[in-house]
Amino acid sequence: MVNGYKPTTLQEAVEIKSRVSVTPYAGGTDLMVRNIPDAVYLFLNDIDELRQITQDDAYIRIGAAVTFTQALDSDLVPPLMKEAISRIAAPAIRNAGTFGGNLGNASDKADSVLAGFALDGRVRLVSAKGERVIPFDDFCVRRGVTNIADDELIAEILLPKEKCALPYYYKKIGGRSALAISRVAFAGAYEVHNGVIQAISATVIGEGKFTRYREVEATLIGKSVDEVSANADAYAERFIEKMTFTRGRVSAEYRKTVVTNLFKDYFASMK
Amino acid sequence: MNGIHFRLNGKDTCYDGSAADRLLDVLRDTYDMKSVKCGCKEGECGACAVLIDGVLVNSCCVAMGAVDAHEIVTVEGYRETARFAALSKAFADLSAVQCGFCIPGMILAAEALLSKNAHPTEEEVRTALSGNICRCTGYNAIVNAVLNAAKEGDGLW
Repeated sequence: MVNGYKPTTLQEAVEIKSRVSVTPYAGGTDLMVRNIPDAVYLFLNDIDELRQITQDDAYIRIGAAVTFTQALDSDLVPPLMKEAISRIAAPAIRNAGTFGGNLGNASDKADSVLAGFALDGRVRLVSAKGERVIPFDDFCVRRGVTNIADDELIAEILLPKEKCALPYYYKKIGGRSALAISRVAFAGAYEVHNGVIQAISATVIGEGKFTRYREVEATLIGKSVDEVSANADAYAERFIEKMTFTRGRVSAEYRKTVVTNLFKDYFASMK
Repeated sequence: MNGIHFRLNGKDTCYDGSAADRLLDVLRDTYDMKSVKCGCKEGECGACAVLIDGVLVNSCCVAMGAVDAHEIVTVEGYRETARFAALSKAFADLSAVQCGFCIPGMILAAEALLSKNAHPTEEEVRTALSGNICRCTGYNAIVNAVLNAAKEGDGLW
């Protein structure tokens, strides 16, 4: 094959990655738009072990080359993730776009990555020398930059089952209903017992990077839902003051206002 | 491995060019499949949609290496089927075709929907066509044509 490699196993793929300069290709929906001149692709789309959705005791495991359509048809994929990916682009893109691509291309608008952040997602990276599993927080540095090594490939996305079972909140704001890139999106999962918050995550698209403000989240644990809802502005402000919003198709001020409103809506939705 | 081997409209085909070439360009320029339209090259318009193993995909966002060992159907192949005849009649009956540029993508998006869901609701049709842009904005007629094809072509899907 000219300008391409098409391995049939992950082992074969990481061996090629360790010795040749190649661009990993899973669904192609982002890569082909960028249309890198003289690209040499490592085609991962027909590697069976990257196309499986499985579970073990701790995790729902989504292979890097699983498409969004495949995940929407799966009983294992949690509702928060399904809601996020159901709003990605349109059917023809969801039929090809993958979890590995959405994470690996380091877009700051990746809807599946936002859901993964809210669920304490991890990524399994494999190289010819071995493998490691790291949290999304450590993998995603900022727009365009990840912590993947040159010889590594994304093998799986791992979603902790105890997080997948929690009540959740998700909202996406785009310029239109289909084929919309998130201008702002918000994802969170929480646990409430007897009206008291036991666990909470809250993460947004709009900052030019993905992040969790875990130290702020921690200040809500042990508070009653009623108190947080009654003082939603003040609690939202704890997060907002840490955040820096980017200007793009919409202004930073717009993003800040929308995120503030979504925090209030999130708190009000908790039961 | 030499060449990229795939089936195109039922015919075994071998492409000797670069694995990084766009499927859209290769279909139009090498294999003369002019039903596959180039609208945006960004996966935004759906005019270049084809079926790969029966699944709707935008051919502008596919590199040739990815189709090795797969089966591609364009309208040039699909038009030989009874399903196409039912869709074609429904589109004609309702004057759903204006300039026609988006129609090959619309037809294949309709086939992709009906092959999974033979009796879709209007909402399901609109979702299935949501990645196919018609700049004549004739959406209602197109949606109604797909619904009519499903009704009058009952049993074909």
